[in-house]
Amino acid sequence: MTDVAVDPRARERFPLGWWGVAMLVATESALFAMMIGAYFYLRFKNSPWPPAGTPEPKVVVPLVLLGVLILTAWPMWKASHSSSPRRWLLLALLVQSGYFAMEVGDFQDDLHHFTPQQHAYGSLYYTLLGADHGHVALGLLLDVWILWKLLFGMTEYRRRALRGIAFYWYAVIVLTIAVTLTVTSPAFAR
Amino acid sequence: MTTTVADRVERLERQWAERPGVLGWLTTTDHKRVGLLYFWATLVFFGAGGVEALTMRTQLIKPNNSLVGPETFNQLFTVHGMTMIFWFIIPMTTGAFGNYLTPLMVGARDMAFPRMNALSFWIFLASGIFLYIGLFGGFGPDAGWFDYTPLGSRLYDPARNADFYTLSLAFNGMASTLTSANLIVTILKLRAPGMSFNRIPLFCFAMLAASFGLLFALPSLSVDLLFLYLDRNLGFHFFDVAHGGSNFLWQHLFWFFGHPEVYILIVPAFGIATEIIPAFTRRKMLAFPLVAIAELLVVFIGFGVWAHHMFATGLPTTTLVFFAGATSMVVIPSTIQVFAWSMSIFTGTPKFKTPLLFIIGFIVMFVAGGLTGIMFLAIPFDQQMTDTYFVVAHFHYIIFGAAVFPIFGGMYYWFPKVTGKLYFERPGQISFWIIFIGTNLLFFPMHIVGLLGMPRRVYTYPGGLGWTSYNVLESVGGYITGLGILVLFANLVVSYFRGPPSGPDPWHGPTLEWTIPSPPPEYNFATIPTVTSAYANWTDDTPPSLELDVGHKQHVSSLVDGWTAEIADMPHSSPWPILLALALALLFTMLVIDRYMFASIFAVVIALTLLGWHSKEPQEHA
Repeated sequence: MTDVAVDPRARERFPLGWWGVAMLVATESALFAMMIGAYFYLRFKNSPWPPAGTPEPKVVVPLVLLGVLILTAWPMWKASHSSSPRRWLLLALLVQSGYFAMEVGDFQDDLHHFTPQQHAYGSLYYTLLGADHGHVALGLLLDVWILWKLLFGMTEYRRRALRGIAFYWYAVIVLTIAVTLTVTSPAFAR
Repeated sequence: MTTTVADRVERLERQWAERPGVLGWLTTTDHKRVGLLYFWATLVFFGAGGVEALTMRTQLIKPNNSLVGPETFNQLFTVHGMTMIFWFIIPMTTGAFGNYLTPLMVGARDMAFPRMNALSFWIFLASGIFLYIGLFGGFGPDAGWFDYTPLGSRLYDPARNADFYTLSLAFNGMASTLTSANLIVTILKLRAPGMSFNRIPLFCFAMLAASFGLLFALPSLSVDLLFLYLDRNLGFHFFDVAHGGSNFLWQHLFWFFGHPEVYILIVPAFGIATEIIPAFTRRKMLAFPLVAIAELLVVFIGFGVWAHHMFATGLPTTTLVFFAGATSMVVIPSTIQVFAWSMSIFTGTPKFKTPLLFIIGFIVMFVAGGLTGIMFLAIPFDQQMTDTYFVVAHFHYIIFGAAVFPIFGGMYYWFPKVTGKLYFERPGQISFWIIFIGTNLLFFPMHIVGLLGMPRRVYTYPGGLGWTSYNVLESVGGYITGLGILVLFANLVVSYFRGPPSGPDPWHGPTLEWTIPSPPPEYNFATIPTVTSAYANWTDDTPPSLELDVGHKQHVSSLVDGWTAEIADMPHSSPWPILLALALALLFTMLVIDRYMFASIFAVVIALTLLGWHSKEPQEHA
């Protein structure tokens, strides 16, 4: 017999997969915290920042894009709580892909103006943004994977996977907020 | 209820059986098998680290010796440090002991993520092979285990040595991260019904503390390694002062990892001590909640003290004083534990069997190493003693005395559980005394030569400085320690083949692993027990137990109270973990030889492997 009754007092019911994502989010947050710490550590050792001859970081476009990325939390939440998640997920994926394409274009555009090999500023700028975009790219791959799986119907496993992926996206959004504010900080806080 | 107990056990055995032979070991996801794989692999690395240590001691046995040259010596002490920390103690405590024992102690049938568990082992093994390929190829890391820049930069370390350092540690860090995530979720979520937070065995609290430490400290090292790799290979400037970088950045990031790391090394040893002491003194641990909190607190405080490794670097005095003050706080949880251990022994009825002897040896060495640690709080003393053998003496008392002694004690203590055989007591006690005398002979004179001014990391020294006789003592102590360790393992090997059967519970141990047969069956618990005490095997009541005998079922508990939250399906043996680790190893190999195109191909292979991994869904509930 295996029909064991779930204890009604056990209110916390996050599945194990969710806890696994929580561990990933914890360690990745520490990773970004250390990189952001390194950014400010070198910033306070260097003046001017960015160094002379290097353009100030763009502000408007990254902040608008950040706003767009934040908005995708809504379709992700709907997808992970809906009985027909595919439409919501597709909506999120489209907007997130647009965000990613714009950011990659921006990244390449920046490389025309200064490189990571010129100065520690550039090294930090590109490493931070690169790490962040990498996490967005991973999220897109996860979206595509779960969308593919969902074409063959919903299962308990896929529902849990979707929940974990949504959690991952919320974390990516928070990390992106931190990274974007860090790399744009020279423009509005001297 | 129509099924009998025999039926149920027979069904469990059929369902949980793994493939026979070598293939079974390569694809295993059983936490006990993974734990044993960890055990044997870490022993090989321990042997390698030991050979490196004895080679260094032989080189230093007399002045102006020329057994090895300076470059070889640099690689020896660097790889010795890396091996003992990253390929012996962490994987031995979290990987071998943690993996094998944690599920047994919390009443689970496996770790929370069994395939990820196997993955972490194969990554760990591959990373160690990777490091030693570097060493045998003449490219062993050679700038010390903390690889300070600018010494570790391309300018001063132009060959691949430091690349093997950055990549092997980053590779290894992945394994430790996976293990720690697995341990945390296992302890938080896979506990038996009724095992509320205050009933978790202290060993598991220690594993929880070490795992949280790893989860939050390793990223700092990873960032440091990434920065150094980019500096060295792609011309970035994180640590290049001429272009706005800073060498202090390396040190801050390194020690923000490196100091918690010290506690990550010793906290599992504390956990082992808190299991052995009750078993051999026939009393519950004194101040149980305080000890549990102290185990967590020691790691937590460990995150705020890193700059005490940088007292001699010219940081502002205010910073030094702050970190000296913060460091002194570590005394509080440490002292709580020392008193709890000693008073439990004093107020109990101790039986001085080998495991308890190792724990008493551990307490002695920990107090000695702790006291010299407090001496380093005095900033002028630290500045005087930095980079002398006094430091080497201090941290070997902690790392060998405090971290490794309980590992040896734990090997004896759980040997009957793992093998079903008893070890031989007399040779066990002899091995303890040889190791105890050997290590003190090895490490105590290092205090004195340190005070006499002998710097660490020198490959030789001139005669006539008064250092020679101490160095002879140290080297002899090293050989004696090595001999003692050989006696220990000889005892265990002979006991494995010739030892008398131990039965399930030879010590009348306090925790759940002693309630099941030795060696434990694949499914661990035929029925999942309900827990009413932190010392579950010492309570007389027999509460009802859960019968989970269809498929790979696992009880999932609520976070705090241990109430049944879910019955989960656990995955079975899988070939994907070892394939993924192989692909990762090839990726890292391409990175060390700057073949980025091939590296990206292997990144795609990794993604495909992950797709394969997740292609088959576990059985559905509905």
